[in-house]
Amino acid sequence: MSLPLVKNYINGEWVESNGTEIGDIRNPATGEKIAQVVYSTQEDVDKAVQAGQEAFVQWRKTPPLTRARYLFRIKESFEENFEEIARALTLEQGKIIDEARAEVRRMIENVEHATGATTLMCGYTLEDIATGIDCAGHRQPMGVFAGIAPYNFPAMVPWWFLPYAIVSGNTYVLKPSEQVPMTQTKIFECLDEVGLPDGVVNMVHGSKDVVNAILDHKDIQGVSFVGSTPTAKYIYKRCGDTGKRVQALGGAKNIVGIMPDAKLDSGIPSLVTSFFGCSGQRCLAGSILAPVGDVADGLLEKFIAEASKIAVGDGMIEFSGMGPMASSAHRDRVLGYIEKGIEEGATLVLDGRDCKVEGYPEGYFVGPTIFDNVTPDMVIAREEIFGPVVCVVRCKDLDEVIELVNTRDFANAACLYTDSGEAARKFKYEALPSMVGINIGIAAPMSFFPFGGSGNSMFGDVKGHGQEIFQFFTDTKVVIERWF
Amino acid sequence: MPIINFGGLLNFAEAMEKQDMEFYLSAASNPEISDLSDLFQGFAKDGKKNITNIQRTRRENVTEMILEGIKDFFRKPFVLDTGDDKNMDRAQILAYAGKMETRALAYYTEGAVKIKALPEVAMALKQTGKKRTAHIKKLSSL
Repeated sequence: MSLPLVKNYINGEWVESNGTEIGDIRNPATGEKIAQVVYSTQEDVDKAVQAGQEAFVQWRKTPPLTRARYLFRIKESFEENFEEIARALTLEQGKIIDEARAEVRRMIENVEHATGATTLMCGYTLEDIATGIDCAGHRQPMGVFAGIAPYNFPAMVPWWFLPYAIVSGNTYVLKPSEQVPMTQTKIFECLDEVGLPDGVVNMVHGSKDVVNAILDHKDIQGVSFVGSTPTAKYIYKRCGDTGKRVQALGGAKNIVGIMPDAKLDSGIPSLVTSFFGCSGQRCLAGSILAPVGDVADGLLEKFIAEASKIAVGDGMIEFSGMGPMASSAHRDRVLGYIEKGIEEGATLVLDGRDCKVEGYPEGYFVGPTIFDNVTPDMVIAREEIFGPVVCVVRCKDLDEVIELVNTRDFANAACLYTDSGEAARKFKYEALPSMVGINIGIAAPMSFFPFGGSGNSMFGDVKGHGQEIFQFFTDTKVVIERWF
Repeated sequence: MPIINFGGLLNFAEAMEKQDMEFYLSAASNPEISDLSDLFQGFAKDGKKNITNIQRTRRENVTEMILEGIKDFFRKPFVLDTGDDKNMDRAQILAYAGKMETRALAYYTEGAVKIKALPEVAMALKQTGKKRTAHIKKLSSL
């Protein structure tokens, strides 16, 4: 039986690529092939950009309120197809269905926020900057923008950017991860129904060739990327070479500090979600648990007990508490880090290596894993593992936690559990990461706040969503006027 | 089987509402109890609204920041064999309707406590439970 083939969406039509290389899409819970995708070529990217450029001519003249109305229709279509999108996501990415639903919700929230364009993209004016002379700053759309998306949040991440780009009057070319292209295909089917003018949104599937074609394309004004730090750096540099705007969000090594006064009983469930939610495959996942002083033993006892209870399984099954790794290659990478931790001398107190799920012998499962006695210099405490692996670094005081946070290569997110306002303030003030949680294990900014880290976790100036995103997608044209 | 998460709690509620709605729709067209037709049609209509509300609650209140598990909540006490009104007399139909309503009310009451970390979900469950309380009153007044 032939497998479904994922198609590109260019100029309002579903089209096949002229590429010859084909990739398999697999269900991570079963290892089964579920579809295939043709890796597109430079020519496909050119067609998509050309469609975007042609559509831009009229689209930029469409009043912002009218453009926002398309988003209202898109939201409605997403609500109607909510479960289908969530299921498509779980099928190809593996996360449990509730996590998929939460992701789809987050995607829709960005559409909702972007509908406020009539106020959010307003410029500003000042009369009499000199006698009889007025000045106005108009936010103007710029043309075709592109997005390059990761495999861990195939629904949500592209929508941190796309709705803001198009509601601002730009057109868009999206390249989803080649590993999980079916979710956006389902989403673009919704877009296809709402009557957006042809060419306003386009989707091109593929791998590195498509990325390079986007980065080098002279008619693409800016690129939004989310993925690993090495790729983010690469994209940032290459976009710089071609003079593009760029926002490139990279990796993370998020630390969760636990003060002795933390309310452990109420905090444990959110800690478990922080470290093991989405099987640890998210840039906001807790990675290092840093208990302070004598809280460590009691905390670990409770934390290990809760982590051991997580039912690993097929994300489609309601009783699963944690899904598989998104691919076999990534599972092997995570297992490699566990071996590395053992080799480095950390104490493996919960071992998820031999994780068997009944009825799913070929699934890419790794169970909850916890290392105690990790030291800050170990590889497992420095590199992003991106899996359900917790490194416990015991700290003597808050200063040591902050030192730990601020000496990682990444500066994405950090959290502190405490009952002390003083400790919380010190942490918020001194920690370098741009997203901070206090008694929150996943410091995930919602669509109306900016998302992105600093240091090696982000390259570029303007973060994802929030109010600032309208600056990324517009050029402020300053008009100075005098009338005689 | 335990109910361990947000989706599981609402999925069971949806299944329960569907089961009850189907029974009421069938009973509403049962000529042996035609005097109860309007009542049961009303109950079925409520069921349809409840399903819409449960689906909306599932879509709109799932939040990545608070996706914490649910503990010590089991389906078993709330599972009811599907009733066939065609094989029941009037008294049995009313008794079965009473059972459905009582178990639904109990489910929503307990579920609201279990999901208190998400207050809007707890509120939605309590509101659905209120409708079931009204049904119980109507049935007891017959």
